[in-house]
Amino acid sequence: MSSKPATAAIALDPLEPVPVLVGRPDDRALTESLVKPLYAPMTRGWKMLVTALAAGMGFWLLSLATTLVVGIGAWGNNIPVAWAFDITTFVWWIGIGHAGTLISAILLLFQQKWRTSINRFAEAMTLFAVAMAGVYPIIHLGRPWFFWWLMPYPSTTQLWPNFKSALPWDVFAISTYATVSFLFWFMGLIPDLATLRDTAPTRLKRTIYGIFAFGWRGSARHWQHYRIGYLLMAGLGTPLVVSVHTIVSFDFAISQLPGWHTTIFPPYFVAGAIFSGFAMVLTLMIPARKVLGIEHVITMKHLDNMAKVVLATGLMVSYGYAMEHFMAWYGGNKYEAFAFLNRWNGPYAAIWYVQLVCNVLVPQLFWFPSMRRNLVVLFVASILVNVGMWIERFTIIAVSLTRDFIPSSWAMYTPTWVDWGLLFGSMCTFGMLFLLFLRFLPVVPIAEVKELRRELDHHDAHAAGQPAHGEGTP
Amino acid sequence: MPSLGLPIFGQSPASQPAPRWRSLAERDGTAAPEAGLYPDGEQPAPEGFSRRSFLQVLGASTALAGLSACKPPREQVVSYVKRPASVTPSVASSYATAVSRGGYGVGVVVESHEGRPTKMEGNPAHPASLGGAGLHELASILDLYDPNRLAGIRRHGQPVAWGAYLGELAVLAGALARDGGARLRVLAEPTSSPTLAALRARLLARFPRARIDSWGPVSDDAAREGAALAFGRPLDAEYRLVGADVILSLDADFLASEGDHLRHARDFASRRGQPAGMNRLYVAEGSFTVTGGAADHRLRMRASEVLGFGRAVAAALASAHGLTQLAWLGAPLDGPRGKQAAAVAADLARARGRGLVLAGRRQPAAVHALAAALNQALGNAGATVVYREPALLDAASGPDRLEALVRELRAGQVETLIITAWNPVYTAPADLDLGPLLAKVPNVIYLATRHDETAQAAGVVVAAAHPLESWGDLRGRDGTASIVQPLLSPLVECITELDLLAAFVDKGHLGAWRLVREAWKARAGEAGFDRAWSEWLSAGVVAGPAVAQAAPVKVAVDAARVADALKAAPAPRPGLEAIFAPDDKALDGRYADNAWLQELPHPVSKLTWDNAASLSPATATRLGLKTGSQVTLTLRGRSVTAAVLVQPGHADEAVTLPLGYGRAVAGPAGAGVGFNAYALRAAAAPWIDGGLEVKATGKHHDLAQTQEHFSMEGRSIALSFDVAELGKAVHELDEQRGPQESLLPLVDYGKEEYRWGMAIDLSKCIGCGACTLACQAENNIPVVGKEQVLNSREMHWLRVDRYYQGSEADPETISQPLACVHCEQAPCEYVCPVNATVHSDEGLNEMVYNRCVGTRYCSNNCAYKVRRFNYLDYHKAVSPQLKMLQNPDVTVRATGVMEKCSYCVHRIEHARIDARVGGLKIGGDAVVSACQQACPAEAIVFGNLNDQSSKVARLQQGERRYDLLHELGTRPRTAYLARLKNPNPELA
Repeated sequence: MSSKPATAAIALDPLEPVPVLVGRPDDRALTESLVKPLYAPMTRGWKMLVTALAAGMGFWLLSLATTLVVGIGAWGNNIPVAWAFDITTFVWWIGIGHAGTLISAILLLFQQKWRTSINRFAEAMTLFAVAMAGVYPIIHLGRPWFFWWLMPYPSTTQLWPNFKSALPWDVFAISTYATVSFLFWFMGLIPDLATLRDTAPTRLKRTIYGIFAFGWRGSARHWQHYRIGYLLMAGLGTPLVVSVHTIVSFDFAISQLPGWHTTIFPPYFVAGAIFSGFAMVLTLMIPARKVLGIEHVITMKHLDNMAKVVLATGLMVSYGYAMEHFMAWYGGNKYEAFAFLNRWNGPYAAIWYVQLVCNVLVPQLFWFPSMRRNLVVLFVASILVNVGMWIERFTIIAVSLTRDFIPSSWAMYTPTWVDWGLLFGSMCTFGMLFLLFLRFLPVVPIAEVKELRRELDHHDAHAAGQPAHGEGTP
Repeated sequence: MPSLGLPIFGQSPASQPAPRWRSLAERDGTAAPEAGLYPDGEQPAPEGFSRRSFLQVLGASTALAGLSACKPPREQVVSYVKRPASVTPSVASSYATAVSRGGYGVGVVVESHEGRPTKMEGNPAHPASLGGAGLHELASILDLYDPNRLAGIRRHGQPVAWGAYLGELAVLAGALARDGGARLRVLAEPTSSPTLAALRARLLARFPRARIDSWGPVSDDAAREGAALAFGRPLDAEYRLVGADVILSLDADFLASEGDHLRHARDFASRRGQPAGMNRLYVAEGSFTVTGGAADHRLRMRASEVLGFGRAVAAALASAHGLTQLAWLGAPLDGPRGKQAAAVAADLARARGRGLVLAGRRQPAAVHALAAALNQALGNAGATVVYREPALLDAASGPDRLEALVRELRAGQVETLIITAWNPVYTAPADLDLGPLLAKVPNVIYLATRHDETAQAAGVVVAAAHPLESWGDLRGRDGTASIVQPLLSPLVECITELDLLAAFVDKGHLGAWRLVREAWKARAGEAGFDRAWSEWLSAGVVAGPAVAQAAPVKVAVDAARVADALKAAPAPRPGLEAIFAPDDKALDGRYADNAWLQELPHPVSKLTWDNAASLSPATATRLGLKTGSQVTLTLRGRSVTAAVLVQPGHADEAVTLPLGYGRAVAGPAGAGVGFNAYALRAAAAPWIDGGLEVKATGKHHDLAQTQEHFSMEGRSIALSFDVAELGKAVHELDEQRGPQESLLPLVDYGKEEYRWGMAIDLSKCIGCGACTLACQAENNIPVVGKEQVLNSREMHWLRVDRYYQGSEADPETISQPLACVHCEQAPCEYVCPVNATVHSDEGLNEMVYNRCVGTRYCSNNCAYKVRRFNYLDYHKAVSPQLKMLQNPDVTVRATGVMEKCSYCVHRIEHARIDARVGGLKIGGDAVVSACQQACPAEAIVFGNLNDQSSKVARLQQGERRYDLLHELGTRPRTAYLARLKNPNPELA
């Protein structure tokens, strides 16, 4: 913590070089600055962005409809490559969805103050990413209308899912994660929904926000229950950060396919998930904080910290790559050795090199503070990381399948327009959902920022040897 | 067809319902053959093919029941009130008949479900099949149900009723007969049919100045000319490979594309795999053939060099092994080729009377004569090869006969031309330019099954019956006769060649059944004929003294004439060599419309839905070509655009041009597929030509190969050892078999009554692909088309993998049939989230189609990649007519569902029912899978591993047994037997 109650452009503490809140705006100023974007009229640029993303969403719906009507044959999948863009994109979205819970739950438990301004944002991103991810396991089925056969239900045939398969585990993991993420996000929203109810300009908005505010009045009793509940949710969410991607990695690790059959997958997948999730938060936040005019709340300190997380997880991912190769050599399994050599010199080698640049080299920039605080570098690097992470999943899933045990069955995979439509369309749909979120809900948790401001005041006051003002609930 | 009351295959006629009869005279066999239903002129023929209606009356109630299943009944509808004695619903019956291959009969047994033929299988009693089935036998049943078949008679596109047309033909015949048929010509397929022989004799008796010419683009003329050179008269060689220790093939693809290949494959394979008594095969060839792939030594040379090689062998035999009578014929060669010839000669000389030299049909007559001389000198004649009078009526069917006809056509000397040969406008050598000439002929009557190039040029097109709708007869190469019997009434209005020719001798109203019976009655006599007839139909082979096999002919070689022929053999034209070859799948083009064959991977190149000009890697490099390069081929001034396929092991400076593709007028499966090699073929050099020019167009043509990676990458997949090294190989094999440690408790299947398993002997497998087709026919496997094959979505449950080993220029090859191996510890099962693929007590890895949701995880986790996914609705395009072909015992799979080899579980269940009815256990060898049944080489054996006396149990305990990907611990039920090769140590 900074030792001076200043605007803190100058950092005295080298470990806390940048403030998590610029200035000390009072409650009214904070509320006004944070709810203003919700009531301001849409700008022309905003409308154009919405139109463009809506078009992309239409493409996505068209691709979905084509898949359902024509069958999986509308994609480029074949035998041996029975999973390709579908599962790649699924794992990619699920991975992106990890940042939210990590920021909300784990950082909350660790009492990291810098999480406060960005947790809502990251959680929303998580929800939308999980929503996008959740589409693929269903539509990738040859007969998607029977997806519920993967769930345990008391059927008259007395037939249960096969619990030996990792795919029913996936159903549990993802549905749990989606539920908990939603509840956590919604719970955090309740005080702010009450704020919106109280500040909204029209009756309709007041009514709608009022319904979802669940009668929040900000009483001490409310706050007490809320705090306990929120902490419990954080406790519930924490294991999910690790469990979901662990189970997703089991989809591959339990198989015997060279390139899939690896015990390192659970930690390696979780690290990769956080890596891509933080990168996605950066990608979205850098323009959003500018457009919404909340650069004083989401400060360079936040971006700097996230870049550090990207660097740390990027190193873990790189370690995973190295260890996979080491095991392929050390394990003495000729099929696995071939699968990894095939990444370097096989027909898909080009994308492997792109993956290495994006996931191994690009994060190394973040060793340098100047790079971590350069918005352009951050933005470009965060996009490259997610390109790299998508390719990583494609390499693991599809490239491993193209060449497995029996060379006679080896074949290449070529995506069709439907595959591309489902990939880019899902990005547009994700963006569309995000724009709606930015438009209708406060991006930054107002109540928590106010609380943070008081904490900072309090801290500063203690540091100055004076009692702080305005202790209590914001 | 049960409705016809025909004798069922495998049952003695006595146990079958008595033949139906309409009068006491008929029952007693005393009715005059022609005084039956429609005596001459008594009854005007009604609409349609009235001569066929006798079948309905003959079969009484049963006939109509069967008809309702196969076509709209013409006269009345009678429901299935009484079940016919010979029909048990859901129980298939089999009927024996024969199909023609190059004019010779191949015995087949056809499975029929409630009147619908569903599958053709080989007839074990027929010497040309011995139970095995070739690609064309298996696939031709698809043609029966082809929705694009011709129907009825069309004169310049206008339909004509058969009855009316019969009258017209009678008038026409009368007019033609006035000058003895001087202006009548018949262009026919080569055939061995005795009834057709009788009919042709009648025809020529009425029209003494007419002529019947045979034309077959893939004729054995050179072989018969060679015999004529050697022996003084044309004879057919019949090879007895069982007794041959050393076999030299001079460009003869005797295991696949040449005559009697099913029997050859059986006999050849019977001497493979056992270290003691293995035969040794040398193949000298340019194109890469199935036989070349099976060789111990494949001597790669241009087709035009084979003659020189044969002479070098003769020279070595004469100089080093005392066969001085060959000295005239020999001409030594220097260098490595000469050494090879010396080694082959030494081997042949060691195996006198137990060796065999074969010459291929595309080699000139001199090579055939040389082969005959070699066999004679080595004492092989009479032992491993016998000679017979040709069974074909008109042995010569090469370009010479067609040229004579073309001369007459040019001169306008022909007024009526009856064409029963398949599509001569397409198949005729390009320099004869037959198509435009047909326009000059006032009456061209063409008998065809489909609309094709000739049908477009012919005035009258008559729909031909499929062999399964026809009565007829055929003889095998060794003289064995079979009656061709129909399995069902024709699906469309159509007639047979017999009907058409009979119309010209005023017997058109009789119908083929009467004609065939009449002909056989004349041979076998009246006494007891009906009973004998039933027996012949039931067995599929005509037996009895009336048709006793002619004994082989004793021959003597006229060495002087052979020597003259060898000296006179024209030198090949210089330049790049063009080798014409009948395609393994489309044959001469008549199967180009067959979607099964189009999609079947070519046995060597694994190419589907195309033909391609194949050439060696070195030649391709010299010309700057790659697989898929489009080129313009120019030969003798004629050009065609083709795609190139780089074929490892092809002779350098030669290009193989497969015939049978590039059809201009064909059905949806055949039109626009591949290139037309006939457009380059000259009558003077129908097989081997020189001076081919190849020019790249710079464009690319996608070739859909089902296998693109031909290297085993050093993995132990298809194992092959030299017979001398088997002792050392045991160690390597031991690593690929035997019990493995497991942390999990394993199911003890040894306690079960049945433990189904399979053994595939790679020593016997020649890679022909019959198993793939048999599986397709048996299991209702859809055809997916070129686009889907390009995207690796072919649906074949059983594929035949082919690997190359050694140098790219001259590799060894090995074929490995691979279907689901039914792992006991199946990787596919535990990953399925919905239990759609599970294990049975008897060890089958079962696929529950209606439980499958299509995650495809099972395929991802299958190490053998033998699962097939219905990416699209591949059955949508199946017409109602084609649905009749489907096997009712096997579910048709829906979109989005995984499928794979079931070990023919429906056959196991049928066997179980049969066993239970008899209160017995299923015999160890009682269940025969479809692939096993078809395999001409007997490479696949299925059965109960828990029955120690079963063949499969014995094979799986053999020293050559290994498990594919054994190290994965999947414990596959299908075991492989490593291939043994028997190379000559002198050539190592």
